[in-house]
Amino acid sequence: MESKDTNKAGRFRLFKGKSHTTSVSVHNEAEVPLGESSGLRFIAGFIRRDKIALTGAIGIGIFFVYGLIQGIIEMAADYTHNLALSYVLLPSNPFQFNFARSLGAPTLANFPVGIFGYDETGRSILSRILYAIPKDALASVLIVVSAIVIGMFLGISAGYLGGWADEILMRVTDAFLAFPLIVFAIALSLTLGNGYVVVLVALTIIWWPTYARFFRAQALTLKSRGYVEAARLSGLSPFSIIVRHIFPNAIDPIVAIATLDFGNVILTYSTLAFLGIGVQVGQPELGSMAASGLQYVPRVWWYALFPSIVIMAIVVCYSLLGDRIQDMVGGRLSY
Amino acid sequence: MLLDVKGLRVAYRTVYGDLEAVRSLDFAVEKGESVAIVGESGCGKSSLGHAIVRLLPPNATYEGEVLVDGKDVFSLKGRRLREYRGSDAFMIFQDPLNSLNPVKRVDRQMLEAIRTQKIMRDEPYDEEEATKVVVEGLKGVRMPDPEVILRRYPHELSGGQIQRVVIAMALVMKPKILIADEPTSALDVTIQAQVMKLIKELKAEYGMSVLFITHDMAVAYTVADRFLVMYAGELSELGPVDKVVTRPLHPYTTALVNSIPHKSKREGDLVAIPGSPPNMLAPPSGCRFHPRCPKVMDICNTVNPGVKQVEDRLLRCHLYD
Amino acid sequence: MLFVARRAVNAFITILIMIALMFAIIHLVAPTPEDLARLYVGTHFTVPELVQIAHRMGFYQPIYVQFFNYVNGFFHGNLGTDTQYGIPEILVIEEYFPVTLNMVILGTILGVVIGIFTGAIAASNRNTGTDYGIKAIYLGTWAAPVFLVGVFLQLILAYELNLLPTGQVANPTLAIPAAVTGLPLVDAILAHDWVYLYSYLRHLVLPAITIAVISFGGITRLTRATMVDALDKDYVKLAYMKGLPKRQVVWGTAFRNAIIPIITLMALAFAFTVGGAVVVEDIFSYHGIGFFFVNAAYNLDYPAILAITVIIGLAVIIANFIADILYGVMDPRVRLT
Ligand SMILES: Nc1ncnc2c1ncn2[C@@H]1O[C@H](COP(=O)(O)OP(=O)(O)OP(=O)(O)O)[C@@H](O)[C@H]1O
Ligand SMILES: [Mg+2]
Repeated sequence: MESKDTNKAGRFRLFKGKSHTTSVSVHNEAEVPLGESSGLRFIAGFIRRDKIALTGAIGIGIFFVYGLIQGIIEMAADYTHNLALSYVLLPSNPFQFNFARSLGAPTLANFPVGIFGYDETGRSILSRILYAIPKDALASVLIVVSAIVIGMFLGISAGYLGGWADEILMRVTDAFLAFPLIVFAIALSLTLGNGYVVVLVALTIIWWPTYARFFRAQALTLKSRGYVEAARLSGLSPFSIIVRHIFPNAIDPIVAIATLDFGNVILTYSTLAFLGIGVQVGQPELGSMAASGLQYVPRVWWYALFPSIVIMAIVVCYSLLGDRIQDMVGGRLSY
Repeated sequence: MLLDVKGLRVAYRTVYGDLEAVRSLDFAVEKGESVAIVGESGCGKSSLGHAIVRLLPPNATYEGEVLVDGKDVFSLKGRRLREYRGSDAFMIFQDPLNSLNPVKRVDRQMLEAIRTQKIMRDEPYDEEEATKVVVEGLKGVRMPDPEVILRRYPHELSGGQIQRVVIAMALVMKPKILIADEPTSALDVTIQAQVMKLIKELKAEYGMSVLFITHDMAVAYTVADRFLVMYAGELSELGPVDKVVTRPLHPYTTALVNSIPHKSKREGDLVAIPGSPPNMLAPPSGCRFHPRCPKVMDICNTVNPGVKQVEDRLLRCHLYD
Repeated sequence: MLFVARRAVNAFITILIMIALMFAIIHLVAPTPEDLARLYVGTHFTVPELVQIAHRMGFYQPIYVQFFNYVNGFFHGNLGTDTQYGIPEILVIEEYFPVTLNMVILGTILGVVIGIFTGAIAASNRNTGTDYGIKAIYLGTWAAPVFLVGVFLQLILAYELNLLPTGQVANPTLAIPAAVTGLPLVDAILAHDWVYLYSYLRHLVLPAITIAVISFGGITRLTRATMVDALDKDYVKLAYMKGLPKRQVVWGTAFRNAIIPIITLMALAFAFTVGGAVVVEDIFSYHGIGFFFVNAAYNLDYPAILAITVIIGLAVIIANFIADILYGVMDPRVRLT
């Protein structure tokens, strides 16, 4: 397990799927295509060349840039108590009732307000989707990043200290991983109290163990390769040496894992919203819109469908990109 | 002529464009002859071997002609291809530790080879008889306690033992040509010498032709009749071992010969050649060796020298135009 | 045997930690004995009443005594009393959990089988139309939220085509066969109640397929990866060299090695599908533990939520343990260590 992870990082630099590094690996360094090194620059270069990865990256880019802008506007609106400000970018007011067009079908009239149809109180589904997106964007970034930070700290410490600390961490992560995401998230967010922030906290509590395991494995390999000894001999703190050497090795696989994970967070988050966990009444939320829409299925198909499709589109973009990066990092993509 | 390679080209499709691993390669191997293919890592030695046994990865394309015992290898399909592998050509792969299936006992893996051959020839297969053949094969590679080894899983064997099991498999299959891809690179020096001796004996005993792939000229010298020196996918020099070693003609061969460590036969001292191996995605113009060549001339920058016959050798170098 | 024993000890420690985790969460949320009592009996009690209840439930004892009682209670099947129905949680779980287990196991097996085969086929046809086709399908199903898949299948197969029932565990007019094992499938067979069995199976199809659809993508992906790695290995090339046909090399040699890491993933897939079951049961009104759990969540029935969470965790740990053992059986390299 331990050696596998580094192998992956190593193989990716060789950029071919073989693992015969034993013989004369010195020469292989010269094979790094076009002189690019490992790390983010290389991944970025790869994305530019790969159509599938590029599609995903563009989708995610739009999602984030939009999410960031709209999110800031919503926060500003919240802060100034000026609701009208929150939807300046949107085609219409997402909170505007209009019972005359309750459950109205998608229409080109009043473009683009009605293209996704209207909900049971006649609010524009398009506007509500656009209003809800920043929450998903924030959730995915915040949860994955905090999980990485927590996992990194605990995983590296456990791997470095070894012995009991390590054993305990492994069992604790086992225990955490034993709870299905959704079940644990529901249990946690209900006991902690309902709300957006609570869901974020609950998901972070659930999310770190996989990363802890990953970083533990990285630390163990470095230890077995004698970095710790070398650090002692040179008078440096072994811990800081490990931390410093883990980053270059970990960055490629972490980017791959995290990219896929962003999508998982959004799926879990919207499933919770679907069950009504963490949703404030009246606030648009992709999952809860789908849930409300389902009551009117099959006659009113658009209400549940469009929010679901948006969730799916975002997750597909993450998967396209993450899948390709993972293949590349794993050395399975020499072509 | 047992093996005849004509105009072989092997290219890999990569995200960075096509990579030409072998380019316009012509050479032949006689029956019972052994040819050593030498060159730095990444020069396309394994690609050549894989092309001959038709085991290139899915992103590879190949052109040209490979004839083994008169069979046009690239046109073989289905059952004919399966018959070709094993009975005409057999390849020992580069990575000895990964050469055996980790989840099967050694006996199952060796018997499987015999059974497959028997089934293809429509001959009856008898497990006991086959086991005897396998034990004989293991004895042939000087394996002590073959019966014990056979009951083991690959992870219970040492690298040298695994390599000997694979060579024993080749023995049992009795191919007309054996392609050995760096069979000793992962072994320590004593075992390395044993394995080399084994291959030499096999050649003498069975009249097998051997294509011996290595990056270590000193090792190759002990087994081969001729050297095929490759650089960046191309033939640089092809000639009898003694002459190539005592009087190399191509500047690259000269560099390789000079880099042979004199006393020990330790491998891997090719680093001594100045400059670094070429980027195979964007190989140098003209002669591919010219950026590193001590005798570089103007013409080398622009014109790729063709292959010429010089005395009893083949050469790709403008010095001998 | 040593291997099994070690895994068993690990599993047991994990269970203890899991219980401790639950205990910690409960006590973090409800720091005072009165809060605790409220958590366990509901909000419609006055403070003096709560104090009395807390006394009765031992919430004024030192924390380690409480912890010991909690662990002790857990292993004696005492998981608290349901605030909605006023019966011990263990009875609720006993009744509903097997129904879910039956469905989830079937769905997981289906998903794993689909995943393994599509993954292996994709890998052995790498970069062909088949590979890209399989990738398109699994990326789609993987990205689809559970509820979308469930409702979509329900809409097509049940409402439009009328092939299958829209929900419920079985036809509600039928008498449920006597509970022997708790698993409805087995009980129906034991009671020779073929009518019920038929109805039960028909009702099982949709939820199980939904579970399979949402869970196979991850398996496909990993199988493809391990299979691509395996197909690149020298022992696979050597198998070709022996003259074995492609079919035998792919399925006999490469596949056999590629699925070993998948076994570990199966336990994770099980955890994932149990999570999915919560939503699936909600959609199909399938009265299993997930349906009950969502209900408990709506009614803030904390004892039920906590008890079910712990029980599901326990099931996953056991699944993990089984996977570990299987791994040892499949991979000769593990057995000795
Ligand atoms: N599957 C592949 N996809 C893309 N490029 C490849 C692939 N396999 C090999 N290559 C490239 O083709 C070139 C020749 O590779 P090959 O394995 O034939 O070299 P080699 O001479 O055997 O080297 P070594 O001594 O390291 O084994 C190298 O530059 C290598 O990076
Ligand atoms: Mg090679």
